[in-house]
Amino acid sequence: MLAYLVKRLGASLLTALLATFLVFVFVRMVPGDVVAQMMGQAGSDRAEEALRAFFGLDQPVWMQYFAWLGDVLRGDFGVSWTRGMPVTEMVGEAFLVTLELGLLTLALATIVGVPLGIIAGIYEGRALDTTIQAFNILGLAAPVFWVGLMILVGVSATFSWSPPLRFQGPTEDLSENLAMLLLPILSLGFLQAAAYSQFVRQSVVSAMHEDYVRTAIAKGMPTRTVFFKHILRNVAIPIVTFMGLILIQILGGVVIIESLFALPGLGRLLLSAIETRDYPIVQGALLVVVVVAMVVNLVVDLVYHLLDPRLRIS
Amino acid sequence: MTKTFDLTRWRHATGAAVTAVALALAAPAFAQDLYGPIPDDPNMGGTLNMGLLVEPPGLDPFHQAADARIQMTVLMYQGLFYEGADGEAMPLLAESYEVSDDGLTYTFKLREGVTFHDGSEMTAEDVAYSYDYIRDPENGSPGAGDFEIISNIEVVDDYTVRFTLSAPNASLPMTLGNKYGAVIPAGYFDDENAQNRMNSQSVGTGPFQLVEFNPNSNLMMERFDGYWEGNAPYLDAINFSFLPNSASMLVALRNDRIDLVNLSRPQDVQQIEGIEGIEIERFPSLNQKAIDLGAEQEALSDVRVRQAISLATDKQELMEAAIGGYGEVIGTMTKAMEERWGVPIDELPMQGVDVEQARALLEEAGYGDGLELTLTTINGYDWMDPAAVTLKEQLGEIGIDLDIQRVDLGVWIDNFRSRNMGLTFNDWASQPDPNLLFYRHFHQQPEGADFRNWNNEEASALLDEGRAATDYDERRAIYADFQMELAETVPTIMLFSADHVVVHDADVENYVQHPTGWLYGLVRTYLDDAE
Amino acid sequence: MSDTVIRTRYGTGLSARIRREPGLWLGLAVMALLLLICLFPGLFATASPFEIDTAAALQGPSAQHWFGTDDVGRDTYSRVIHGARVTLSICAGSLLISALVGGALGMVSGFFGGLVDQVLGRLVDVMLSFPPIVLGIIITGVLGPELQNLILALSVVYMPVFFRIARAGSMAQANLSYVEAARSVGLRESTILRRHLVRNVAPLLMTQYMILFPLILQIQAALGFLGLGVQPPTPDWGALLEQGKDYILFAPWMSVFPGLAVLLTAFALILVGRALQGRIDSR
Repeated sequence: MLAYLVKRLGASLLTALLATFLVFVFVRMVPGDVVAQMMGQAGSDRAEEALRAFFGLDQPVWMQYFAWLGDVLRGDFGVSWTRGMPVTEMVGEAFLVTLELGLLTLALATIVGVPLGIIAGIYEGRALDTTIQAFNILGLAAPVFWVGLMILVGVSATFSWSPPLRFQGPTEDLSENLAMLLLPILSLGFLQAAAYSQFVRQSVVSAMHEDYVRTAIAKGMPTRTVFFKHILRNVAIPIVTFMGLILIQILGGVVIIESLFALPGLGRLLLSAIETRDYPIVQGALLVVVVVAMVVNLVVDLVYHLLDPRLRIS
Repeated sequence: MTKTFDLTRWRHATGAAVTAVALALAAPAFAQDLYGPIPDDPNMGGTLNMGLLVEPPGLDPFHQAADARIQMTVLMYQGLFYEGADGEAMPLLAESYEVSDDGLTYTFKLREGVTFHDGSEMTAEDVAYSYDYIRDPENGSPGAGDFEIISNIEVVDDYTVRFTLSAPNASLPMTLGNKYGAVIPAGYFDDENAQNRMNSQSVGTGPFQLVEFNPNSNLMMERFDGYWEGNAPYLDAINFSFLPNSASMLVALRNDRIDLVNLSRPQDVQQIEGIEGIEIERFPSLNQKAIDLGAEQEALSDVRVRQAISLATDKQELMEAAIGGYGEVIGTMTKAMEERWGVPIDELPMQGVDVEQARALLEEAGYGDGLELTLTTINGYDWMDPAAVTLKEQLGEIGIDLDIQRVDLGVWIDNFRSRNMGLTFNDWASQPDPNLLFYRHFHQQPEGADFRNWNNEEASALLDEGRAATDYDERRAIYADFQMELAETVPTIMLFSADHVVVHDADVENYVQHPTGWLYGLVRTYLDDAE
Repeated sequence: MSDTVIRTRYGTGLSARIRREPGLWLGLAVMALLLLICLFPGLFATASPFEIDTAAALQGPSAQHWFGTDDVGRDTYSRVIHGARVTLSICAGSLLISALVGGALGMVSGFFGGLVDQVLGRLVDVMLSFPPIVLGIIITGVLGPELQNLILALSVVYMPVFFRIARAGSMAQANLSYVEAARSVGLRESTILRRHLVRNVAPLLMTQYMILFPLILQIQAALGFLGLGVQPPTPDWGALLEQGKDYILFAPWMSVFPGLAVLLTAFALILVGRALQGRIDSR
């Protein structure tokens, strides 16, 4: 188990390192860096050179990378080129926003999606199943930003209410915090509930088709007993696995939703940093995205191992 | 309820803020108060919420050229002069000044009793330090080019400072305004972290000081109690929210999350007209939307092709499409400066739609069978998309086939600065002074940047003359000649100025939008319902 | 076995097949309609998608303009119709590139193993470590919003998925006896790869293609919505949505109908993709 963990972590680390390197080189290949943006239509060539040297952009790319990597290994992620704030602070704060949004969305998706999936699976082929599946497919098909936009405008028109604009953390002002997150969570949560429900339905259906379940039903065991005795146990593992998958999907979808609802999360930070060519922020934000995806995958695998006795023995 | 802009709002100067100018400049078209009209009996206090679509990339007046930065930092930092809305520089931190007969030495008397946000008092040494810092290109300021004409700065006494120029320059006072740089405490940049600190702590002399600046969220400023000017400002605090799109902005405005907005797309007015408790006002702007024609492209190097394009361009129709008519068509001068410096559009050559003549010119240039050109637009500039498709139709009339290409701002700026812009839309503004507007953009290299590769000797000579002349009438005549040349040989086609359309809650009083788009007006704004 | 049972119960006619898999057939019907629209947009459109008429700007849906008009007076319905070809051909083309490149690399990697497999596998891991939409944003955001960059981004996003499927498929095949046999009779490896692997792996890739199509459509639309997609005046659904969002309070039709077009198309594609997946699984 420990050996497995070490091996996985090592591979993940290598992947993350490669990912940062590729991004590092990639963003520097294109024209229009931060200095050009600071200069705008004004400025002199000498001032431009001076500023480029200030940011180290006059060095060869590989030297810039190793300088960055060296700093990162010492725990120094640098300073934003446009804002001057430490990358760790900016990315950290943005990540907390995204994490809160992601977890709350996951909670909603789970609360709605799992029961729907189980019900659909148990009543496979009946009208209830068809209805739930129609909801699922609609949810999978709907573009998240479009749903968000419709909800924002719809709520504004119906209730004359729109979310507050200044983000406050849950510890600062919980009600403002939730008021700001409510619509994004709803938009993203229901769509992801559809995806979750679809996964769960499939595992319930396949569990229902297992011979021993069929036998139990044939013997006249009440549905409820069959469900709790046989099915739930079989379905528990996929539900946990899917939770990780859904969380990663949510973190992807959050990028778009944040841009729509003016949330100062990681996605919006990444987008604005790409726009302003603030490379240290791009680098830091992507590193967090990559590492989070890896950690979630790793945790899912570990839980999977813990829950499944067969895997634990091997 | 739509109020249109009317000139009576620009009251004649009465306030204590306007002090004597030692050198008599030409009489301005109409005088005015510093920052905006001074109210008789403003309510004090309260927090104003303003919505903005573009977030400043940083708050450093010395190293950030972005207009989104300038519009906010003018509230926290001050230069020696204020860019009067009518195109005249008004003393700000300077109190008065004298110019030597050869026009090379400016002696500024400074305002006394001015304090920085850190509590220290402003003296001539701070002024000398600040302008010495920005004019040294090694310090990497985008404004360095504008200050190249200064050859020496000398502290005479605590409240007197003398600038020596390498050549006469009538627009020096306007250059010492608030676009680039500001007066900050001497030695500020000695600390290597100073540049970054400006994003968390302001060090200027302005009426507001920085409280917090949260990326992708908001910026909060509060009243600076040590501010030198009377009882201004009247607001306790201003909270700027940065919104990612106009949809969110309009929704927030409707639901009272925002009190004041300067619409980036004037036509958005249609979406909020008729809402109870919201007032709409229009103000003229210094901004200009233009078509630039870079002569580095073979077809565009032929003046006849450029003239044909100018003749085929229907500015009115472009404006209708781009901003729904919320602006004014211009000749060669932005709307807010037209009265003082411009040539009336009907006296300019190559204006108006004349398809026949345009076709003839193209034929003469050897493009009778048609011509393919690429028009560049910039990602994020909403007006360019509808304008581009409209221009495509218009130029189609004379056999020019436009291929529209949208690029990122960074890429566009790179092309622009490397004088490789081709045919492109442009959206720019300057301080309200013809030298600052034209010189850098249109003077031959190396003195100017000549971004459009116009390389026009005659025009450059006029620009030199205009810069050296100090008499208003003389300057006006020189710049009129320049504008005739500009219109005749078409390195650029200035299309229209979009109005500033300000939408605010009925409680918001006395906000006047400065033509630059900068937020000076907030210094004079107050809230009805403030306690 | 269950197949025969059903067949005897419902028969084998078309109507019976539709009754058996209504989702699949509904999906196919919508797809057929979309294909027609893509091939002959002129038959469906009521006006030019480019012709501007500022006098008729921002009009609501009417008999003349079914989906209303946009900010320069173009007919939204006709733009949505013409947008189908632009949007769907970009998606189909990009996804085809991912399937071909990802599939080919995957097969080579799975069949030969060794160093090639190690290197490619590592690269794919790196690509998979980004959420797809983030990968799309980085590529189009950094390179700039041009058509070739959009296609590049959309091709890269799901390439790893095709790679993995092709790799797993060809690894499984490589150990099968017929490949061993082919090897033993002296067939060159490239020939084996071509003859056997492609034939067996291709169906897997085609199914995956259908499953990923709605996802790539949504990413394409999202990039368009963020201003990183197809550029005006080309009528693309994502670009229409981007354009429409600024008028959402005043002219919601500019957003509603292109959004519905994406929704409906994705819906049909998912129905068909699921049915195909079901067939592969039961095989």
